[in-house]
Amino acid sequence: MRDILGDILYVDLTERRSWREPVTPQRVLDFLGGRGINASLLWELLEPGTDPLGPANPLIFGTGLVTGTEAPSSGRTTVACRSPATGWYLKTSGGGHWGAELKYSGYGYLVVLGRAEEPVYLWIDDGRVEIRDARQVWGKDVRETDRAIKAEVGDEDIQVAAIGPGGERLVRFAGIMFSVYNAAARGGAGAVMGSKNLKAVAVRGRGGVRPAQPARFHELARACHESLSADSGFAGLGKYGTSGSLNAINEVRALASYNFRRGHLEDVYPITGQYLAEAGYLRRRAACFGCIIGCHRYTEISRGRYAGTYTGGPEYETFCALGSGCGLLDTEAVIKANELCNLYGLDTISCGSVIQWAMECYEKGLLSSGDLDGLDLHWGNGEAVVEMVRRIAWREGFGDVLADGVRAAAEKVGGDSYKWAVQAKGLEQSRVDTRSAKSYALAFAVNPRGPDHLHTETFAEFGLSPEGRALIARITGDEKYANSYLGEKRAEIVRWHEDCYAATDALGFCAFTSTALYGVTPQLMAQVFAAATGYEMSEESLMEAGRRIVTLEKCINVREGATREHDVLPWRMMHERSPDRSDPDAINSPEELARMLDEYYTLHGWDLETSWPLESTLRKLRLGTVADELAAIGRLVAR
Amino acid sequence: MQKVLVVDPNLCTGCRQCELACSYHHEGFYSPHLSRIRVVKFEDRCLNVPVVCSYCERPPCEEVCPTGAMSHAVGQTYAVVVEERCIGCKECVHVCPLGAVGIHPRKGTAMRCDLCRGDPACVKVCTAGALKFEPVEEEVRDRRRARAGALGLV
Repeated sequence: MRDILGDILYVDLTERRSWREPVTPQRVLDFLGGRGINASLLWELLEPGTDPLGPANPLIFGTGLVTGTEAPSSGRTTVACRSPATGWYLKTSGGGHWGAELKYSGYGYLVVLGRAEEPVYLWIDDGRVEIRDARQVWGKDVRETDRAIKAEVGDEDIQVAAIGPGGERLVRFAGIMFSVYNAAARGGAGAVMGSKNLKAVAVRGRGGVRPAQPARFHELARACHESLSADSGFAGLGKYGTSGSLNAINEVRALASYNFRRGHLEDVYPITGQYLAEAGYLRRRAACFGCIIGCHRYTEISRGRYAGTYTGGPEYETFCALGSGCGLLDTEAVIKANELCNLYGLDTISCGSVIQWAMECYEKGLLSSGDLDGLDLHWGNGEAVVEMVRRIAWREGFGDVLADGVRAAAEKVGGDSYKWAVQAKGLEQSRVDTRSAKSYALAFAVNPRGPDHLHTETFAEFGLSPEGRALIARITGDEKYANSYLGEKRAEIVRWHEDCYAATDALGFCAFTSTALYGVTPQLMAQVFAAATGYEMSEESLMEAGRRIVTLEKCINVREGATREHDVLPWRMMHERSPDRSDPDAINSPEELARMLDEYYTLHGWDLETSWPLESTLRKLRLGTVADELAAIGRLVAR
Repeated sequence: MQKVLVVDPNLCTGCRQCELACSYHHEGFYSPHLSRIRVVKFEDRCLNVPVVCSYCERPPCEEVCPTGAMSHAVGQTYAVVVEERCIGCKECVHVCPLGAVGIHPRKGTAMRCDLCRGDPACVKVCTAGALKFEPVEEEVRDRRRARAGALGLV
């Protein structure tokens, strides 16, 4: 079983040494892989109260259990650490081809400890590990870094995970870039990497992955392949990418625009995947390792002021964050801003969020052109958006303020600006207007990393596909709840997706296989797990393992001091109604949120007052040692 | 009419399912380094080009092989490496102008596409449509039509 798991590679940059440890079977049965095992390692390695940007914050990379196999779209890598954006637990994940390469090198996990004195990069050549000088690539963008390291190693076919100038300068929403254009973007893992003086991790893996039961595994992978490609959303997602759904989200009034002041725009065509393809910007589709969906875009601009621009994307979130959110419907300006985010290693969601917040401050007179070093940040000014992205990455002028995230920026600018700083827990909200998507609202509020869709995507609630509607009917007993405006049954919907999403992440599958498209079912995943490891697993046990992961992640935050008051939504979501709907429910009022939280905690077996998991819940989930540790610091409700 | 593996890099998304299918078919597990088809990635341009044996009419690998290990099976349209005869001299690797012959890292013998003996596994998993297995004449006909269509007269 060892080669499908991969060993844990520990690298201590302070001590400049590395060692390997196997993953125990019990850890796999409890936490499955990737995201789950990352969380279990972080629980053990992270001292409470650690400075996220200090050397003691462990940075953990985990491949999925079946990453490197033919199981479709299972090449994702999860990164865990304490987030410099929020101060809470962070799991962030990315696609690309790096994870499979790490698996083929014999490692499933990479735990980076300490801090190097000078910039370094890691060179993992099959089992061998080297800490190499990176001073020659420090300051270079992600594309240049990738090229330079491949040239230095003398092999174009290796895989590199790198940070850009954003991560080096500790921008609190800097991401880690895999295979150039695939970001583990949210929550600032790139800044953690930068704080360790770690520019990149280059990998070459010439080994392989052998499931415990190869023939059974092969059959199941084929079954996943068929089921996934039969989903009604499959072809469209490949053809138009995530930005192909922009129109549909606009129609349900959930398209975050003008810094969440609008949930609907008249004409969004220039920032849709359909336009990208039809206007000729889309040069080709691209896929992560083993992915049969291929939602990733590659775009080029061949003429005009941005001629020569080329990049992966833009995705749905990017078109909204750097586009509609900034009142910007200029396709080319968004592509340019997207390219810069990829080169500098910035999260496009947070980057767009801080810029549109600044635009609102500018409109309302809290920021002048003088405050912005001469930049005219009126809505829809594409040139200003592009320039601000650059200033944020290099922390120039007001870009330095925005680089600390919108919560910190609002504290600095003051006044009422916190009201339109659309963040909770310190993380800028991703681009779904939760006032028109009530499962998303609950999922965002309880998400340990902040209001974000890539922890628990609950796409089914929109009822946009027959598979989604059927699933909602199965979870709630009635298809009518596949309506994102309804507040009922949201806790059930969220919890199913949480469990499923955690298992999906742990196995290395993309969320699109199981919680946006619904082809790779929990039942299939349980069988895949069994064939991969040789340990039988039922659908119920797999979903329970997902819940164990979710609960442990909650406990990491509880240990850091989280209580019910932290499970909130941004001020604007709770106090301003969506202007694009006339019905009374177009708001996430504090009362509505409180009711949904009560239902959710009850369903989980968590305490209503503190939100802490009850002792009985933890013991039932085989998290007894976690319960003991929380009891010792007085954060356990003994019920 | 002999069928050939036709590669269209414009459609390839670089997912590498073909490499996985190939290594599983030939080795029973997953390792791109053991795949007979390899996707060359130009990463920052998201450009992916699958490279595989083209079944040359006058295969230099077969001409140069000192032991006759690189051969078409008698009466068949696919090629095999006769492993008992292969001495691992790598002459075939050097002369293949396409880079489509490799050396098996464990066995030390030549590694070349055998079209899965007439039913290539890689083609079946290519959801992007970048790999096709069809008679040469169909390939030529399709290309003629594509070329003519590109003139913009239709």
